[in-house]
Amino acid sequence: MKQLKEINRAQKNNMYSLVLMSFMLGIVIVAQAYFIVEIVDRVFLQDTSFSAVIPYLGGLLLVLAARSLVTYVNGRTGVKMAAKVKGDFRKKLLSKYKRNPVQASLKGQSGEKVSIMMDAVDEIDSYFSKYYPQMIQTTIVPILILIAVFSQNWVSGLIMLITAPFIPIFMIIIGKSTQKKSEEQLEKLAAFSGRFLDILQGLTTLKLFGRAKEQRDAIKQSSLDYRDATMTVLKIAFVSSLMLEFISMLSIGLIALEVGLRLVIYEQLSFFTAFFVLILAPEFYNSLKELGSAFHAGRGSMGAAKKVIEELEMTEQPVQWGERRLEINSPPTIKLENVSFSYSEGKFALNNINLEIPPHSEVALVGRSGSGKSTLLNVISGIVSPTEGRISVQNQSLFDYKEKDWFDHISYISQNPYLFSGTIEENIAIGGRGITTIEEIQQAAKKAGINEMIKSLEEGFDTMVGEGGRGLSGGEKQRVALARAFLKKPTIILFDEPTVGLDLQTERILQQSIKELGKSATIITVAHRLHTIKNADKILFLEDGKLLAAGTHKELLASVREYEQMVTVQQGGETG
Amino acid sequence: MKDLKIVVNLMFREKKDVFYSILFGFLAGIGAVSLFANSGYLISKAAIMPPLYVLTISIALLKLFSVTRAVSRYGERYFSHRATFTKLSNLRQYFFEKLEPLAPQIFQKYRSGDLLSRIVGDVESLQNFFLRVYYPPIVMVIVFLATIAFTAFFSIAVAIALVLGLIITGFLVPLWFSLKRKEIDNQLRESRGTVSTEAIEFFYGFRDLKLYYRLDEQANNLVNASATYVNEQRKVAGNELYNQSVNQLISLIVSWIVLGMGAYFVAEGQLDGVFLAMLVMVSLTVFENSTPMAAFPGYYHDSRRAANRLFSVVEKEEENSWEEKLEIEEVNINRPPTIELQNVNFSFPYEDRLALKDINLHLQSGSKTAIVGPSGSGKSTLLMLLLKVFSRNEGEVKLWNKSIGKLMDEDIWNGTNIALQSNHFFYGTIRDNLRIAKDGLSDDEMKAVLNKVKLQQFSLSDPVLEKGENLSGGEKQRLAIARAMLKGSHLWLLDEPTSSVDILTESHIYKELMKQGENDTMIFVSHRLTGLEKMDQIIVMENGTIIETGSYDELMNKKGYFYKMKEIEKDVFL
Repeated sequence: MKQLKEINRAQKNNMYSLVLMSFMLGIVIVAQAYFIVEIVDRVFLQDTSFSAVIPYLGGLLLVLAARSLVTYVNGRTGVKMAAKVKGDFRKKLLSKYKRNPVQASLKGQSGEKVSIMMDAVDEIDSYFSKYYPQMIQTTIVPILILIAVFSQNWVSGLIMLITAPFIPIFMIIIGKSTQKKSEEQLEKLAAFSGRFLDILQGLTTLKLFGRAKEQRDAIKQSSLDYRDATMTVLKIAFVSSLMLEFISMLSIGLIALEVGLRLVIYEQLSFFTAFFVLILAPEFYNSLKELGSAFHAGRGSMGAAKKVIEELEMTEQPVQWGERRLEINSPPTIKLENVSFSYSEGKFALNNINLEIPPHSEVALVGRSGSGKSTLLNVISGIVSPTEGRISVQNQSLFDYKEKDWFDHISYISQNPYLFSGTIEENIAIGGRGITTIEEIQQAAKKAGINEMIKSLEEGFDTMVGEGGRGLSGGEKQRVALARAFLKKPTIILFDEPTVGLDLQTERILQQSIKELGKSATIITVAHRLHTIKNADKILFLEDGKLLAAGTHKELLASVREYEQMVTVQQGGETG
Repeated sequence: MKDLKIVVNLMFREKKDVFYSILFGFLAGIGAVSLFANSGYLISKAAIMPPLYVLTISIALLKLFSVTRAVSRYGERYFSHRATFTKLSNLRQYFFEKLEPLAPQIFQKYRSGDLLSRIVGDVESLQNFFLRVYYPPIVMVIVFLATIAFTAFFSIAVAIALVLGLIITGFLVPLWFSLKRKEIDNQLRESRGTVSTEAIEFFYGFRDLKLYYRLDEQANNLVNASATYVNEQRKVAGNELYNQSVNQLISLIVSWIVLGMGAYFVAEGQLDGVFLAMLVMVSLTVFENSTPMAAFPGYYHDSRRAANRLFSVVEKEEENSWEEKLEIEEVNINRPPTIELQNVNFSFPYEDRLALKDINLHLQSGSKTAIVGPSGSGKSTLLMLLLKVFSRNEGEVKLWNKSIGKLMDEDIWNGTNIALQSNHFFYGTIRDNLRIAKDGLSDDEMKAVLNKVKLQQFSLSDPVLEKGENLSGGEKQRLAIARAMLKGSHLWLLDEPTSSVDILTESHIYKELMKQGENDTMIFVSHRLTGLEKMDQIIVMENGTIIETGSYDELMNKKGYFYKMKEIEKDVFL
């Protein structure tokens, strides 16, 4: 994986430290073997007194301490590297998600994205904390051991040299399939997360439709799929370590046989050499074997890294903003020229819209549901960019301006404003610029007609709302959004069905609020209410994503039949 | 501990695998010890020129031990992991099963990102409970006991050294770390939960965050949460590494002592020198089983926390379900119910304020009722009581002439066609979202109903994004009505079903609803006062109480609250 290697190169200091520590480790391992053999040899064969071996025992003690220390420092470096990389990957993912246009943010399941951000990134850990340090260790330690063995007994050294390559070859074969399998495993986990989150959100609905049990089965299946995928990956790991074990066992056996024969039958070796080789041989293969299991973990990480990198490289056309300042104190002129928009290929939600919105005007978007009113509002707000055509503000393309400047000028009260997990106060304060006082917030709440309701709550403005907090009704949420707008004092207000779901008295309060907000702003409203429509300077009548007619209420009433029909029903109250 | 017990119990469903794990774990451990003991012995023996057959037997044994060790290790890993991951899968299901009945109240307490983190992250971390906490100590003790018995045969002193080594590395050191760990009790699991929650907030609130130019802020929150999490991980990993290194050092020192003592005894002539190499090799190998014990406290605490986080969600809630357990009665739901409420009081969990006060109602089978009133007056809450999503505090609710306490939740839900103010739509297609209404729906039925709600422009295989984000408010409401229509039950609970639908379409849909539900009991919650003339009964609510009931004409003639609202409506709309 190219990217991971590059990351390694960027962390040079850590790499040097790993190399240095590995050298130390190699030396320590050889020294340990030397001391042990020396002691055994002396008391066993040379019959020296115990006091004569005490210095060697002292040396051995130092070596053992050094070995623990080196292992510790080595591991520590790996952990440090992994921590940095994980943090960096999350940051990168986030800045990519941040740039995504709104329509892209709706694609896929949030749970899956969270899973990539959490689980896949965590999975990268072992590449840096295990595989990489082990790889450096294994390139250095066995060589040092080999040198030591060659210096004592070249035949054993030769056996090691010949058998050793089998281990990495085997590893590579197995590692290849591991990576693919572990990608599958992560996909399964992401699918599980996505599914769980979606089901969680819709649990009430599912229960009411008597479908909870089925979903339980779906969760069960997802979970079992993940288990099976995990077991597949693990099975490869276990088989691979079994194989590595066999190879190293056979080799050690071969060496034992070789030294044994030469010691006993040919008497070519001393006990010292034989024992020395026999202690070093397992260390040699262990080091290679450990690389084997680390390699496996590393491959798994690479699978995860691939997923993360794929996600990073998935190109979405982000809304590109410019650098021009939007310095205005009163509403700007907004113009749409030949604007079309489609959510997916070929299906137009808006088709060739042309219109001009002069400052301080009150525009009402009218049409049946699904006619493209909300989409038009989204396009004007700049959170999605039109597929074709141009939006201009003050005769400059909207997207030449700085994003922040533009958003500072608009308030968008959507059908279903999102409440962030936090207090009501915090949720209103999000509309303000900089620091807002509680008085300002209360004032805004009053104007939005929600102050009374908030006060009736036990904890008032400190009541927790949003996820994990008190639920607010649709009308209440919209009034919170209105309060945000009052705090913001925008020059452009975008309302999406602002009076939906509210009772009559609140609706009246809101009419006044909107009127007041409108004193200093252009208002563009997706309207169902006749009185909103009647008060509008300009009504845009949409059908199937096309602008069918534009004009005042009277003009449309006289010229557009569908429009007239709509108004008649409203007045006659012929529903039900 | 109680929580871990649940985990243990779940695990014991995989009894066989647990047994095999321990068996093979023991064989692998003892195989390794034998292998190295044998090779140490072999080499020493070889040095003093033994008869050739001794060497041959030793070498044959060497091979046997090698194979035993390799194969047993494989078996141990395979069975222990299979047991573990089956257990994790069971655990996820268990958690979801426990969680499901608690909806929707649970969402007032827990954020979905948090719950997601628990069911994924916390469950995942419980794998260590079996793999590193539960069975390895058992294996370790058995292997040690066997080894010590073997060693005692050659040198009691060395055996004692091994016993001490076992006690120190296997128990005392882990215990010491455990105590230390408690002091610095880390926030790993919680910090992971935070990252997950912040991430969900980032994705769900994306549009509003962008509009208020708060994306950067939220992204920063996330980056900070991630940094804390990574830091916790690093601390934990560092800690584990440290503990392991210390334990490794101690075990090496024990081997050093064994060597020293052995050397001393050999020099003093109390031990045959041929066994010295063997004993050293035994000691070096056997401690491979106990060094990992250093990680025990870490995994143990982590598992405990994870189990605790997992089960605290579902356990506490269980205590809070206050619905009295009445004997369940069968009811025929295939007919329009009568509905009766007598002196019903209700307050939301964790709130003192009564959301419904002294509600009395009688709705006849097949009647059409409208509930109107300001938002927050308790209209929707009343529906929730009928659906048993919430339970009344006092009074009596009767459906089909039976107390609601005696009805199964499922019966009520099966017998009701529901469209709520906000309805959930699943990631998938229109078909997926309609299909949940009833089993065995044909495409034609679904298409017909889409026509009825004027959604004919959709095909059944059109995609629906998460939470129906690609649908407008009106489209979502109409899809919910379509779903209710498909269900074909005889009680209709419609909570402002068409508030986002334009008037023409609304009028059409109402006609369709009235046609299909002609003989059914129907309750409309509405904030609009138009089109109520044909209702059998209109119930006017304010502040959780019923302030007026009657037919449209009665209420208009009475010139009370309804009349006044109607006047306001005229004022606003015309």
